[in-house]
Amino acid sequence: MPQWTLIGLLKGKQTAPWPLAEGDDGQTGVLGMPRYDPERCTSGCKACADVCPTAAITLRSETQSEGRLDVDYGRCIVCQLCTEACPTEAMTTSSDWAFGARHRDDLKWSAVATPGSEPQALSPSGFRRSLHIRHVDAGSCNGCESELQALNNPFYNLHRLGIFFTASPRFADLLLVTGPVTYAMHGPLRTAYEAMAEPRWVMAVGTCAVSGGIAEGGYACGHGLEGVLPVDVYLPGCPPNPAAVMQALLMFLGRAKQRVRGGQLVE
Amino acid sequence: MTVTQSTPQARLRQEPEKVHPAALKDAARKVLDNGGRMQMVYAWYPKPSHIELRYVATVPGQVRFAVWSCEPEGPVPSLTEVAPLLSWYEREVTDLFGLAFTEHPQPQRLVLHDGAIVPRPPFAPDYPPGIEIRAPNQQSIPEIAGVNGDVQLLPFGPIRGDVLESAEFLFFYIGEAILHYTPRLFYKHRGMEKRFEGLGAERAVVLAERVSGVGSVAHALAYCQAVEAAADCTVPPRARFLRVLLAEMERLYNHLYYLGHLCHTTTLKVGEAQGKLLAERAKQLNARLTGSRFLRSILTVGGLRRDLSPKGWLEAELESLRESYAVYARHLETTDSHLDRLITTGRLDRKVAFDQGATGPVDRASGLDRDLRRDHPYAAYGELPVAVAVRTDGDAHARAQVRMAEIEDSIALMQRVLLLLPDGPIKTECEIVPGSEGLGWSESPRGTLFYAVHFDGAGRLARVKIKSPSFSNWRAFPFTVHDTNMMDYAINEASFGLTIAGCDR
Amino acid sequence: MSNSLLLLAFSAWIVSAVLAAMRCGLPLARLLLSAGCIAGVIAAIAALPQGTLVIVLPTRLAGDTVDFHMSPDALWLFGFGLTPAVLACALSTPNRDGEAGWLFGAAASLIGALGVFGVRHGAGFLIAWEIMSFGGAMMILSEKLASDAGRPVLFMLGLLETGAVALLLAVLLLAVSGHSFAFAAYDPMLATASPALLAGVGVLLVIGFGAKLGLLPFYEWFPAAYGAGSGASGALMSGVVMNAAFFGLSRGLLEWLPPQPSLSAGLGIFIIIVGVLSAILTALYAFQQEDWRALLSFSSAENASIAVAMLGAALLFRGHGQPPLASLAWVVALLHLAGHALAKGGLFLTADGVYRATKRYAIFHTDLMRRSSLLFGLGALFAAMSLAAMPPQAGFVSEWYVFETVFQGFHLDTLAARLTMALAGAGLALTAAVAFATCVKAFGVGLLGRSSAIEGTVPNSSAVAVGLLGLCVLALAVGMPFWLNSLEIAVSAHFATNAAQAMHDGLLLVPLTAKFAFISPTMLVIVMPLLALFPIAIVLINHRCAARRVPVWYGGLAQNPERVSTTALTFSNALRTFYSFIYRPTQETERETHRVRYYVRRLTFTHDVAPIFGPYLFAPVTRCVYKTAGRLRLLQSGHLNFYLAVIGGLLIIILALTLF
Repeated sequence: MPQWTLIGLLKGKQTAPWPLAEGDDGQTGVLGMPRYDPERCTSGCKACADVCPTAAITLRSETQSEGRLDVDYGRCIVCQLCTEACPTEAMTTSSDWAFGARHRDDLKWSAVATPGSEPQALSPSGFRRSLHIRHVDAGSCNGCESELQALNNPFYNLHRLGIFFTASPRFADLLLVTGPVTYAMHGPLRTAYEAMAEPRWVMAVGTCAVSGGIAEGGYACGHGLEGVLPVDVYLPGCPPNPAAVMQALLMFLGRAKQRVRGGQLVE
Repeated sequence: MTVTQSTPQARLRQEPEKVHPAALKDAARKVLDNGGRMQMVYAWYPKPSHIELRYVATVPGQVRFAVWSCEPEGPVPSLTEVAPLLSWYEREVTDLFGLAFTEHPQPQRLVLHDGAIVPRPPFAPDYPPGIEIRAPNQQSIPEIAGVNGDVQLLPFGPIRGDVLESAEFLFFYIGEAILHYTPRLFYKHRGMEKRFEGLGAERAVVLAERVSGVGSVAHALAYCQAVEAAADCTVPPRARFLRVLLAEMERLYNHLYYLGHLCHTTTLKVGEAQGKLLAERAKQLNARLTGSRFLRSILTVGGLRRDLSPKGWLEAELESLRESYAVYARHLETTDSHLDRLITTGRLDRKVAFDQGATGPVDRASGLDRDLRRDHPYAAYGELPVAVAVRTDGDAHARAQVRMAEIEDSIALMQRVLLLLPDGPIKTECEIVPGSEGLGWSESPRGTLFYAVHFDGAGRLARVKIKSPSFSNWRAFPFTVHDTNMMDYAINEASFGLTIAGCDR
Repeated sequence: MSNSLLLLAFSAWIVSAVLAAMRCGLPLARLLLSAGCIAGVIAAIAALPQGTLVIVLPTRLAGDTVDFHMSPDALWLFGFGLTPAVLACALSTPNRDGEAGWLFGAAASLIGALGVFGVRHGAGFLIAWEIMSFGGAMMILSEKLASDAGRPVLFMLGLLETGAVALLLAVLLLAVSGHSFAFAAYDPMLATASPALLAGVGVLLVIGFGAKLGLLPFYEWFPAAYGAGSGASGALMSGVVMNAAFFGLSRGLLEWLPPQPSLSAGLGIFIIIVGVLSAILTALYAFQQEDWRALLSFSSAENASIAVAMLGAALLFRGHGQPPLASLAWVVALLHLAGHALAKGGLFLTADGVYRATKRYAIFHTDLMRRSSLLFGLGALFAAMSLAAMPPQAGFVSEWYVFETVFQGFHLDTLAARLTMALAGAGLALTAAVAFATCVKAFGVGLLGRSSAIEGTVPNSSAVAVGLLGLCVLALAVGMPFWLNSLEIAVSAHFATNAAQAMHDGLLLVPLTAKFAFISPTMLVIVMPLLALFPIAIVLINHRCAARRVPVWYGGLAQNPERVSTTALTFSNALRTFYSFIYRPTQETERETHRVRYYVRRLTFTHDVAPIFGPYLFAPVTRCVYKTAGRLRLLQSGHLNFYLAVIGGLLIIILALTLF
């Protein structure tokens, strides 16, 4: 019979040093949100808007000066179709996946990008190094769950950051919701939120939870968490990779800066 | 099942055979007598006033599937008696289309919850757009006649402990012994099939990828092949081989995660950590290869969206992964405490597996030798040696062993693909013929997956039917839980390795 | 004065029996039964602690005069046994059709019990014993609450008659040497009898009285017989009748048999073993029952077994020359049965109340606690607490005393005695734990379980009766220092000590000395409400800062507590599995399917536990009897010559006997 403990010890530490130290975050080659460069956008062209499956890219009225397109990254499913459709490389692929944001407006592209502000402390501050999360699947495709389940594998090891998933909302501080809130999960989701003791916060993980995603509308599916629960952290992505989830959680706890401002990643 | 045709891509467009409703039972019996199997039934509206049923069946020795078309004049006789696996499909048709089936043994709602407030059947042409159905105030308990006050009921879910998908499980139990078990799924029903309607063929690929997140490639592949069958276009060889590579990469990370999760339920902590670490390595390989950890945004109708360059580095990575995995598998197979929990747990009888439509590693573990890659080759599988692992015990250990064998076979297949990978174009243009229809399939990590697509007069999608393997396997699952005990339940469920998103759509 | 009250009670019962037999004036008959019981209780209170004056009955039996005298311990058990009988007779059986027969049977039981307690003549005692058994059978048969009450009653009578035969043998053995049936004549001659004979008489007494008390293997008639009757029958049979049986055993072992040390010690060990094993078995079986009457009947057998074990301990201590400890053990047995009669009567009447509300005696969710009056709930709670030995109830007092007595086993000399006491302590601890769980099951599932389907409520008469009995239990516990005084004279008569006085020290109850341990229900009753002020204060303070209230978390769905709560079976299931070597449980699931065999239309689930002595003792014995009867059938050969030959042979034998 193999000595599992010994085997585990001999294997050594498999955890990535990131985010507590510089190093490999495991996302080599992962494509993130497409970058929008309004300088290269030609007038009269709406190839990206036509091809976007979730209408994340829409045309603004011509009178405004801030670029022709409204790009809402909260609706982006990272399908890269716009980058292939754009003839002028106004939409390019990038590895911008760290899109955790406190306000929904931060996910909408805007030309005036304020520099990344100092990490905001969470009040009360007792949660900085100890956060308990209750996850609720409100109808996701299982991709977000797969990435959330990966958070507890030895590579990411969420526990070392003091963040844990709990089984009961009574013990939870943060309600993490994936999925566009189907009709049948609407009630249980609200029950879970009601069952949490204050202080409590809500995080929308995945584009489906932020804005409804690709399944939005229809007869059985909602439009994400807007209007259902008050959201404190938004993290778009389809699905957001575990490093993005960790970054968003640390940002929420005030241990990392919010990287996205005006739909662009800033340092 | 042996393969008689091995053309690179069989002509998949076919005309359905017309069958009268009264003749359905006999036709189904004939299929079963010949050694075939009914696969699915679905409904659609060729014209707004006119509903049509489609039946798909496997015919032994034939790569193509038999497709019947039936025009109902009122309630249709249920085929549950002949082919029990059709029971859920018929209930789905009743829920979504309003078409009733006579003599159905379980005519309760399946896809839409009992008591849900639905203005019209959702797929009816006059369904008011933008109106969402509403859930009932109180969930009903599906009572079984005769269960008296002695037996305790545990409705477990839909929000379960740990990071898991939402579904409700109802146990009728006494202490440790489970007398009867019913899963109530479809809490995650998003109505994905209806979202396809009106989309252009190419844009709908991203929708197909997101029906089941961990089966993105399988779904996209089946969908693309269905459209390619409808458009009668041939995918270039490089694209076909790369499609095989992507499908096997997906199978790899799914099966590795499955082994880790299985160790979680048997509380083999280090085994769980190692299995999940191997799955993470596979996902990171996916990201390096395609830019997406789930291999999304690569497949498209007619081939791939962009070229991939796996040669020169992927072989070494796969070999390193295979070595780590081989050590891990050897450890697992010699851990008595782990094997003790798996052997004889959740035994699925071969006849039950066949009748209830079990598919994939689940039915291969119960002795049914079926694999779409070998029996109905698609992409480049016809040109590659596909090994199919079969076990006969039908218990959790057999299901784990089938998957472990498939991991080895997958890596070997991928190495071969990398060896044989031809150069050339990666995409052809597919012209959609208005009013055409096609059937596509793929062997997902969980079993057989079908996409049936119908195009309308403007060349846009009119109906897409998705038969997901989890839908089939969830129907067979309760038969392994009746008369077992509570302690084994989690292990049994983990050994099936099903998703709920794929089932609920 | 008490004798006249007893005569009043007796005549009231006779008149009631006559009325019942004539099937007229049944309400009057009920009233007379109750009034007789009240008279009996008052007589008992008046005559304690001395006992009644000896009177000579007007009849002569077998050439002897028949005395009637109730000793203090008889009065104690009689009085406490009659208290629930007052209310049980007043309420009578819930099935009005069988009331006449029931009243007749009840009258017969009460009259027989009176005779067993007081008649001091062997033959008279046996006659009274038989009348008591007959009364019990009559009560159950006439109630017609079960479709086939015949078989269980026959089984009951069969076992009781086996006991009666043993009693007859014992009485004959005792009477033969003294040439008289009168009890007074037993004493002198026994001093010279052989130890084997005396031990044999002791064992016969245990068998005889054990058949009624429910010692092993005789408890097997309890569930079926009690389960065919009503709660009122159970209250009578577990109250005054069981007390009478115990009194008979106690008198037989302590008064009829001489106080020889080796005899006492040996018999003591034997009785302790039998008592403790019976207690364990009956407690375990009680826990698995799902019918109020069956559960309570097994519980009665368990409590009687504990009292019998204490009696055995008394004999053991006496045999080892420890009269104070012997008297402690004996008084404990009496206390235990007093509390038990009240509490068991209360719970049997609760069962009747449940039946009147729901038409079923099964233990299932009835929600009656919420919907019935406060008095009903309070009484049922106190009675259940007493049987579960929870402070401050009477059951707690007697259980505590039981363990204190057992702990004193270190005073004994021999290894066998000490070991017996130690193992008895372990066995009694197991019994107490299982009994606690049993009371929780009956009360929790049967009365507290929520249900919106049941609509009936317990009628006020039942509620008042149960409430009164519950308050009596509390009164017994709280007033225990006072009650103990009435047993002084009885104790000194038997053991020449004043242990009854030594058992309480002011308001505290002590096991003969305050240095060992003490409890005080009297003070608890004052302190506990005071302690309750703390949580009440917290609740009141919390009302100021209101907390947000949300339903219990249940996976996201609204909870349906009725459907998912514990049932009687699932509560007992764990123990059923753990003790499966005793229970040998069976469980069967039958599935009825549609034409397609995968779809279940109906699921029938049946379960049972198997008795021990039924298949292993009674069935072989029955088979033996049948076989012997079959062989004896040869005597019915039908040949006249054979019969003549047999007669001739018998005549020759008689001639030989008279000649030689």
